[in-house]
Amino acid sequence: MDLFRDVLDKQLIDRNNEKLGKVDGLVMVLGEGAPPRVAYIEVGPVTLARRLNRGLGQRVARLCEKLGGARHREPFRIPWAKIIVTGTDVTVGLDADDTPIRDWQKWLRRNVIERLPGA
Amino acid sequence: MKKLLEITLGIVTSIGGFLEIGSLTTAAQAGAAFGFQLIWAILLGTICIIFLVEMAGRFAAVSRHTIPDAIRERFGFNFFVIPLISTLLVNFLVLAAEIGGVCLGLQLLTGIGFQWWALPVAFAIWVLLWKGTFGVIEQGVSALGLVTLCFVVGAVLLHPSWKDVGLGALPTLPSHDKSHYWFIAVSILGASITPYLFFFYSSGAVEDKWDESYLGLNRATASLGMSFGGTIALGALIVAAIVFPPRGITQLDHIEQLSLILTPIFGHWGLILFAASLCIACYGAALEISLEQAYLVAQGFGWKWGEDVRPKDDPGFISVYTMAALSSSLLILFGLDPLKLTIFSMALTAASLPLTVVPFLFLMNDEKYLGEFRNGWLSNGVVLFIIMLSFLLAIVSIPLEIFGG
Amino acid sequence: MADKEIYLELLIGRRVLGVTGQTIGWLEEIRAEVQGGECVVQEYHVGRYAMLERLSAWSIGRALLHLFGARKSGGGYKVPWDKMDLTDARKPRLLCALKELEKLNIES
Repeated sequence: MDLFRDVLDKQLIDRNNEKLGKVDGLVMVLGEGAPPRVAYIEVGPVTLARRLNRGLGQRVARLCEKLGGARHREPFRIPWAKIIVTGTDVTVGLDADDTPIRDWQKWLRRNVIERLPGA
Repeated sequence: MKKLLEITLGIVTSIGGFLEIGSLTTAAQAGAAFGFQLIWAILLGTICIIFLVEMAGRFAAVSRHTIPDAIRERFGFNFFVIPLISTLLVNFLVLAAEIGGVCLGLQLLTGIGFQWWALPVAFAIWVLLWKGTFGVIEQGVSALGLVTLCFVVGAVLLHPSWKDVGLGALPTLPSHDKSHYWFIAVSILGASITPYLFFFYSSGAVEDKWDESYLGLNRATASLGMSFGGTIALGALIVAAIVFPPRGITQLDHIEQLSLILTPIFGHWGLILFAASLCIACYGAALEISLEQAYLVAQGFGWKWGEDVRPKDDPGFISVYTMAALSSSLLILFGLDPLKLTIFSMALTAASLPLTVVPFLFLMNDEKYLGEFRNGWLSNGVVLFIIMLSFLLAIVSIPLEIFGG
Repeated sequence: MADKEIYLELLIGRRVLGVTGQTIGWLEEIRAEVQGGECVVQEYHVGRYAMLERLSAWSIGRALLHLFGARKSGGGYKVPWDKMDLTDARKPRLLCALKELEKLNIES
């Protein structure tokens, strides 16, 4: 498979067939004397900001930490073992709600959406 | 039967996307200043948008992707950021102009200044997006939008020389006020070929769960829907051409002048019909653009999205359209003239068109997304023409606005 | 010592240098295979399109060049995983001579 064409920027779908985000980054691990492996997929605004500019990535990381706590300073990583590349999208053997990816949406839901009538 | 109702996606996209404050005001200005001479611009704009919308629908139905989603997938996030930001910015201004249009219509009907209507209108937009489903919005706006047929009825009642109307379909050079002529021509094209229009259509096709079996319907919807909008704009131009010049009005700078357009035909009802048409067309556009802002962001970042999704399940999507409607309405609340804002945002739309149409051309030729349904030579030819046109518009629109506006 | 990690999304369009420091192309694609539940990198595809180092222009510029017959300028090279030096991820370098590399076919 071609990593940039078939994996990067593709839609991520979780175990319950829900949209989880997109593949924002790929972490490759260099080994000694063995071919490098793609160990993780990264998801999150820090990874995206870093793609645009390294300094921006650092600023976004600090912002995320301020807003969401230490767990949001680093991008969220999904180990390759949980991934299936289907060609149209990338399926993840995880529940979206178990990851920090949706934390900000959960916050919005609790503090804004559910307070509005007719939610 | 259900498939027939899908025509409403075409009509609502047309009413919101094609027929809104920009196209109505430019059509009227064209008629007042140059009679039937600029009919060709409306026809050209309509034909271009029919092709673009058909392609957007075909793309969504076959690939099951929306255009923003596919742009990021195919070209990567770093490129995607460019059309994302330019479209969000342009949409912000156009949305403000549309909200302003609704407010002007309400001002005409009630006498209460347009600024006071900004927040109520934003709320009316938000409520329908919050509580309504995509189907309700599609069909509701389409049904209400039929009031804009008053322009067509008015045009017919005025008994124009249809021969002269036909001659206007052929491009001619102006005998006077050259830069003003080209400025209006560029504005008409900028008002017709708007990116949010075909982006929205692709999102709508996915909302309506289209697949390959909808391709024939897609062609019908695109042609009929956009022709509907084009015909109304044509009606507005013809009416303006007959009503204004004899009264010595060749420039329409104020809403009060424009609002008299149907009065000679319908009397007192003319003002009401005009105001109602303005309100409904602009409200439809505002709904569409607010949704489109949310679609752009949600699809680009891979969030869950959709009008039919329960609010609990897509808080990100909802937050974006809420902030879009609210922030744009603030421009009107603070008193920016909607007509001036319209002119400015149309020039900007024209200028930013290449950033969205060029990636779209590549997507329409991509075998992975479209397989055997890729563009043929005719569609590619039209898109290449539109791209060249859009570069031309991008270059001339700002200078023309300065010299011919 | 922890294994070195490289962010692949930052490698797109990076200039690749040869053993003598000359530019041989830009990193276009990375081919990998799933082996035993792991994603193992096989080779790097280095293309020969100039002027496209800026990431934002990379993908669309490449597509434009393809359209206008960049075929004439030749495909590029396939670099096996053990012939690419990524100790400085911002400056990928070849570890072998060009003539040892297999050529890329026109359309990747």
